[in-house]
Amino acid sequence: MTITKDGARFVETEIDDEVVLMDVESGTFFSLAGTSLAVWRLIDGSRGEGEIAAALAADYDAPVEQVAADVAAFLAELREAGLVTG
Amino acid sequence: MTDGGETGKRPGTMSPEQAVLILKRESRVRSGTVPHAIAGVAVGPRQSWLAGDEFLLRPDECLAFHYARGQGITVARGDGADAIAENLWLNGSVYAAMAAINGFLPFHASAVAWDGRAVAFTGPGGAGKSTLIAALGARGFPMFCDDTLVLDIGGEGAPMAMPGHKRLKLTPAALALTGAARQEEVGAQTGKFYAEPPGGDWQVPLPLGALIFLEEGPDVSLRRISGHERFTRLQDDHYTANIFARARNHTPAEAFATWARLARAIPMLVFTRPRDEARFGEGVDAVAKALRDGLMNEGPAAASGWTSPVLGANGTDRAKE
Repeated sequence: MTITKDGARFVETEIDDEVVLMDVESGTFFSLAGTSLAVWRLIDGSRGEGEIAAALAADYDAPVEQVAADVAAFLAELREAGLVTG
Repeated sequence: MTDGGETGKRPGTMSPEQAVLILKRESRVRSGTVPHAIAGVAVGPRQSWLAGDEFLLRPDECLAFHYARGQGITVARGDGADAIAENLWLNGSVYAAMAAINGFLPFHASAVAWDGRAVAFTGPGGAGKSTLIAALGARGFPMFCDDTLVLDIGGEGAPMAMPGHKRLKLTPAALALTGAARQEEVGAQTGKFYAEPPGGDWQVPLPLGALIFLEEGPDVSLRRISGHERFTRLQDDHYTANIFARARNHTPAEAFATWARLARAIPMLVFTRPRDEARFGEGVDAVAKALRDGLMNEGPAAASGWTSPVLGANGTDRAKE
């Protein structure tokens, strides 16, 4: 299943090497930097969880099992926050 | 959804000279009658209201201020009105509201001029903003403004800072620490005196070069901040953030876009120092050296390597409150 950003739910902006998001309903801020930003940038509506993890493991030259577990946990956080679906 | 454009009342194309003229024209004061309500909202003693192009403030039973865009400020004085209080309100909340209604961002900060830019220090009341700029004055940095920094944020790039409209005010302890020449007393209730800025004062607009947040800590340090911290700290100044949001009538998304643009455009640092008179000079010297060494031109550090991703939550947008 592909992962999709819920673009109606938030506004985002890039400051330095971070992306700051604001939930337009609650006014809550979120920030993404480093690897979390790398995951965020790969969420484009065409990739699934496994493809995102594989791409990051290659980019960071890191064990795919570890990256896959981290990505799964992070995507769960993003879903919980209402920022992504899928 | 991405950054929306700013939907302000002003196109943001005025020159710094035009901005100065607008502030001067709009801050003219006359005595007269002040309405009891604006936009259908009655304003009683110790209340204020900002709606559209108008601001109404009644700080007590004896004084009232009304600002209307294009008409300037009207002051109504009842029996027992305090001239010192009038001056403080006029240069404080009334001026800030007038500036915000005209599209400027009033910020709670004191600043010095250096290398063609204004360098501003911000923090809550009592954080030491005025004392620091007075001490920097003694080290060759002219005062740019005290207590309120008015920014023209309409253009691209660094906001243009308007020269200060307030005189420097210091406590007796700050006068002693900085060596600034004492002038007349501000008013018995303030415990402050007007003071001659030791390095003189700057009279023309300058681009804002840096915003430095004052904090207390065991050691003297200057730390550059980046990313979300720039964004969230910029909104620490709750009073001016709220008055600006009310004046601009921004949606939360528009307010977000405006603050984000400012966060990107203004280099920011945190200056930490002990509030210990014996170490006061050490902190001032550190700031003076950093300014002379060009601290405003450093870039943020980059990170690398795989670490578990985290979703940082950073509180709540002021515009939503």
